[in-house]
Amino acid sequence: MNTLTSSDNFRRILSRVPRHEFVGRAAELERVAAQAKQEKNGRGLLLLMAPSAGVSELLRQTFDQFFNERTEVIPFYFAFSRYGTTAVSAAIEFLNTFLQQYLAFRRNDPTLCNSALSLQDLVALAPTADLDWIDQLVQIYTRVRFSNDDKELVRFCLGAPQRVPTKHGRPFVMLDGSQLAENLNTGVAMGTEVLRVFGRADLSFVLAGLRRQIINAAHEAECDFESLDRLRLEKLDTDDANLLVENVARRQQVPTSSEARELMVQQFGGSPLLITSFLQAAHEKNAALVSYLDCERLYADELLGGHLRRYFDELLEEVAPKLDTRIALIQLMWEAAANAEKSVPVEAWRKHLSLPASEFVEILRGLHIYEFVNWNGPNLDATTGSQVWKDYLKVNYRLAVKNEPRALVVAEAIADSLKRAPDTMALHYRQLGKVTLRKILDQFDCQHVPKVLFDYSTFATNYKGMSDVELVAGLKSESEFFKLPRTVHVASCFSFNSDFRQVCEEDKCAVGHSFEDGIYNDEHEIIWLAAEIESKMEVEKDTTELWFERLDSLARTLGFLRYQVWLISNEGFTSEASSFLQSRAAFSSSQRQLEVLVDQIGEDQSLRPRPLDEGDEFLMVVPMGDDNEMLAATTVEQVARRLAFPPAAINQIKTAIVEACINASEHSHSPDQKIYQRFRVESDKLVVTISSRGVLPKNVGSGSSPSITNNNEAAEERRGWGLKLIRTLMDEVEFERVDEGTSLRMIKYLRNSSG
Amino acid sequence: MDSLSGATVRSHCVGTTAVVYASDYLNKLTGEKIERECRRQLDSGCRALVIDFGDTHLVNSIGISILLGIIDVAEKSGAQIVFSDVNNQTVELFDMLGLTRHVALAKDEQEALSNISQLDPTPTLH
Repeated sequence: MNTLTSSDNFRRILSRVPRHEFVGRAAELERVAAQAKQEKNGRGLLLLMAPSAGVSELLRQTFDQFFNERTEVIPFYFAFSRYGTTAVSAAIEFLNTFLQQYLAFRRNDPTLCNSALSLQDLVALAPTADLDWIDQLVQIYTRVRFSNDDKELVRFCLGAPQRVPTKHGRPFVMLDGSQLAENLNTGVAMGTEVLRVFGRADLSFVLAGLRRQIINAAHEAECDFESLDRLRLEKLDTDDANLLVENVARRQQVPTSSEARELMVQQFGGSPLLITSFLQAAHEKNAALVSYLDCERLYADELLGGHLRRYFDELLEEVAPKLDTRIALIQLMWEAAANAEKSVPVEAWRKHLSLPASEFVEILRGLHIYEFVNWNGPNLDATTGSQVWKDYLKVNYRLAVKNEPRALVVAEAIADSLKRAPDTMALHYRQLGKVTLRKILDQFDCQHVPKVLFDYSTFATNYKGMSDVELVAGLKSESEFFKLPRTVHVASCFSFNSDFRQVCEEDKCAVGHSFEDGIYNDEHEIIWLAAEIESKMEVEKDTTELWFERLDSLARTLGFLRYQVWLISNEGFTSEASSFLQSRAAFSSSQRQLEVLVDQIGEDQSLRPRPLDEGDEFLMVVPMGDDNEMLAATTVEQVARRLAFPPAAINQIKTAIVEACINASEHSHSPDQKIYQRFRVESDKLVVTISSRGVLPKNVGSGSSPSITNNNEAAEERRGWGLKLIRTLMDEVEFERVDEGTSLRMIKYLRNSSG
Repeated sequence: MDSLSGATVRSHCVGTTAVVYASDYLNKLTGEKIERECRRQLDSGCRALVIDFGDTHLVNSIGISILLGIIDVAEKSGAQIVFSDVNNQTVELFDMLGLTRHVALAKDEQEALSNISQLDPTPTLH
């Protein structure tokens, strides 16, 4: 596919984000675009979206891509509106939008996409080659419109893309917000009609909607699932979400810090929609988001009366249009969430709400689709919503149900969020780079690994104290191997027995359903129960026995016929503990064995702990002045020593850092009077970035040689020597102008420095 | 004669030569202190200056520009000036910025004093 990424050529038509800033969805974009290929003709793609994962921009970007590519693929994007009234009005809007976008494409005039044009205007704009069929389309529409047959009209409008003559191209229909189509079921079941029309059409299409709704809708429409592909759209991962925050903050001119950005990512769970709304709010209020306090103050504001409040209000109003029902729901949901009631009888809620059964079912269905609750028959779980949703519930409960003073609710919302923020980040940092049991078990797929990796006692005898190189060499000569089973499902022990919450963290215990040799029958089915025991020393026998009993008891309670207990501890187990486990045919591993196991089984790089000597980064912020550049110089000296730079090179690096800091202090007029230093260690180089907020120094790019002619000229030139020194002392120097200031990036290569 | 002035720069005199000791980090502040002390010594009648860099591990460009100023002052006074005990990295910096064209370098304080006693009072310009 010819993708146009040059900003010079790429026209932004429906998309709201510049292409180069559209992060985290490259694979999904490619997959959606692939649906337009000839071989996919007639196949639909169901885009199953997690709530607030943000699918609209993905489809708009796809539209722009095809519009710019100018191939036989004619893109069409239509979003169902939350504010639509009837299926008929939505269908008419669909027809109008289709013709507009079609003509925009045919005429290569993107402005038509956003113009307010009537059907007659569109007919007048039709190129000669399209005039006949468009004129006929409009005539038929006019006849059907006034025929009082709403269903026929809806089907006719939805079928418009199929009328495009083949020689003019292949329409690629992208429909956004299928769950909203269901709200238009007034006489005509719009959602069902959409799926029926496109499911039977000879067109490639994409239907995007909430994951819990769209599959059900496809079933109700009796779609042929063999002709439907699926793509799941989750929230962004941490790296992409961080990039999103950076990009949006820059576009919205909201000052942020890396700490605040990371907090936003974690607090909003990587949701593009919530992150973007939050930064939009910061922009509107001209607020900086540099500290946790800044973020939580704005967060409280938003929950009580801003974008976040409006977002959840709208969803809740869609689910429960009546105000008193909504308030009662807020009370029920908050009380269940606050009490961590994972299983609430549905009947109890219905009685509390005093609603007819059909209305109550619709409400439950709505709450379930938006993933505010998990509803499974007679019970529901209201503890599963996001933290933002729970905070929204709490403030509304306190205001609308308990009638507490607003000032108190605001103050405590800020305080609660502030108190929680460090824990939120601590949890994230602990999980960073960590290999979890779930991930490891999930990777079991009949690999052969040295048996000693599951036997701490033998491992300790043979390999304890050996270097990594010796260990790897030793394992290569192992003769006894163990074939791992194939895992089909893994979950935390918490999911099987909530009592485990009392004794360990969620990611420290796992239950993996698997089959030996990949053979799916009763004889080969085996369930692994694994737990990591927190201990700084070898685990003693009594603790080992306790943990074994916990897992063994879980297995027996759940009726597992064949199971394998596996205990892991940082430093392994005492000999008595190991003997006990051996007597029970349980496996035992230390952290080191685990790491080797990960290495042996993992193609998946996410399993591998990042080596400590690669890609390490050190960050430092110092106030300008007071010879604080010496702090930076001392720090970089320590960093450079780790890379074994020779003393001369270290001195050069130190001098360059000092000059860079002085340069920033003297010339940047920094508003915060701070210098931001980043030292990045890579295997063959040290990358140092010195940044400050403020103006671009005048002497940037000055390559003038500091030759001394006479004293007066010298005095003028002397002050510009800093950059000259930096360029001479370091191997690569790059000066970047960023929105808020300047950044000087310097690299010293190890190979240039040694010998 | 050792310096007992308010300046914190260490210095002493050997005959008509003042020996001034630079600190471990030669920056604007310490550079200006050295400059002040050098001027004071010249005003007191010294006819040669030795600036010893034995303790100096790091020099920044501002410090170097101040040293150039001291060289200027010394030249105008007709005084000789020698830098002693400069480590290799600092010599490299001095070379980069052209300092070594205007001042002699000596291995240590003794050699500097010896060189001065043998040299013509008028500095040789390269």
